[in-house]
Amino acid sequence: MELSDLAVNHLRQVTDLPDLSGTRYELEHEIGRGGMGTVYAARDVDLDRRVALKVLDGKLFEEPRLMARLEHPSIVPVYERGVLPDGRVFYAMKLVSGMRFDRFIENSPPLSERLRVIQCIGEALRFAHAQNLLHRDLKPQNVMVGEFGEVYVMDWGIEAVAGTPGFRAPEGAVDARSDVYALGALLDFAVGREEGTAPLSAVAAKARFKDPEHRYQTTSDLLADVARFQDGLAVQAYPESTWEVLWRHARRNAVLLWLLGAYVAARFLVFFLHGR
Amino acid sequence: MERLFPSTQLSLLEAVSGPRTLPNEALERVAALYWKPVYRFVRLKFGHDHIQAEDLTQGFFASALERDFFRRFDPKRASFRTYLRMAVENFAANQHSAERRAKRGGGMQLENTDVGGESPEDMFEREWRRQIFALGVDDLRAHCDSAGKTIQWQVFEAYDLADGERCSYADLARRHGIAETTVTNYLAWARRMLRGFVEARLRGVTAGEAELRRELRALWS
Repeated sequence: MELSDLAVNHLRQVTDLPDLSGTRYELEHEIGRGGMGTVYAARDVDLDRRVALKVLDGKLFEEPRLMARLEHPSIVPVYERGVLPDGRVFYAMKLVSGMRFDRFIENSPPLSERLRVIQCIGEALRFAHAQNLLHRDLKPQNVMVGEFGEVYVMDWGIEAVAGTPGFRAPEGAVDARSDVYALGALLDFAVGREEGTAPLSAVAAKARFKDPEHRYQTTSDLLADVARFQDGLAVQAYPESTWEVLWRHARRNAVLLWLLGAYVAARFLVFFLHGR
Repeated sequence: MERLFPSTQLSLLEAVSGPRTLPNEALERVAALYWKPVYRFVRLKFGHDHIQAEDLTQGFFASALERDFFRRFDPKRASFRTYLRMAVENFAANQHSAERRAKRGGGMQLENTDVGGESPEDMFEREWRRQIFALGVDDLRAHCDSAGKTIQWQVFEAYDLADGERCSYADLARRHGIAETTVTNYLAWARRMLRGFVEARLRGVTAGEAELRRELRALWS
């Protein structure tokens, strides 16, 4: 049978829409498409709440089970798994409201807030790696920042995916260091070329070395270096000049220096008054 | 879910890992899906007329068998669809080049290939989508015929295959003397079956579950 473009497009649409009859969900609209399936906004009629439904391509029974294992504050919780009448597997998750990380960065939040989000993302990765799971496609579009500041890392790849240029390690998603590469790219994306962030740029660069052996070997190592920057300490990835060491110490001990300055000024004033 | 789809058929890799030559059934699967996309691709890419493009397409499939083309497919490097398109391109370029050398004593120049902003590669993808759905619709029709589901087919054909304005569910219900909810159910059934047939067709030309899922994604993205 010869089909027109119009008919093909219609057939693609109607055969892709999930048939939720027989489930407790009503379809609202499509939210987005990831590596392994499509995510829809839906309503849980039983509990009268909105949820996100991920409908997987094919019969990936394992993905929801693995996702459910990832119980972490920065990973979207899975509520339920089901099978559509056409055999596709779906699972219901918390519907996260907020903005994607790239939009969040466009709003120019303070550096401290951007680094807090990076730490949350890294914590989620660290947790997943401890469970022997990789993300495989970490990028700004897969991170949501909620209205109360909560951070969610989404669209975990249970099997090999192509990844996204700019965030994909050159060797592909092989082990945790591939996710470290992507986290470094996210850090670079979050920090940009802002003044005073050269150590963070060095951290991001170290995370993205072509040779995985030269990268941070774990997410924890990367996060520790970011935390050192946040605490005003030297980061391992960045050799400082003497001037930078002094400047960093001065900034870190700014209150002490101000007090010292005030004391010296007061002593001068007393000396000057008594001298007269 | 009804078990009608040939999900147990050999994948491409399994098919070529057996006897020395590709089983006819496996080749038929590949040709059924890819003959038209290949034909249209070479027509657009090399500016061939109908006869030349048909000969070249025929020549490609014949040559692919002789040259152990299917055995050299490595699913780790590319999808079978991409592998086949690139092989067609090389084959057609060589043929084109040879023809020109014979006519003019050398030099190869491809035709201006984009038509209406669509590249030959994009057209290949579009034709692939069209053909996989066309085959799925054929399978659905055959199933409806053999299972006596004539009204289900007629409802599906009138609504989902309409090229112009679609009639309403109420119209369809009146026409066939059934309830509107039955129209809804028939359409849901037909779409579900169609998806199953399309998936089964794709399964027959992919090298395992991972590639199948990537192809499903490509088809519906």
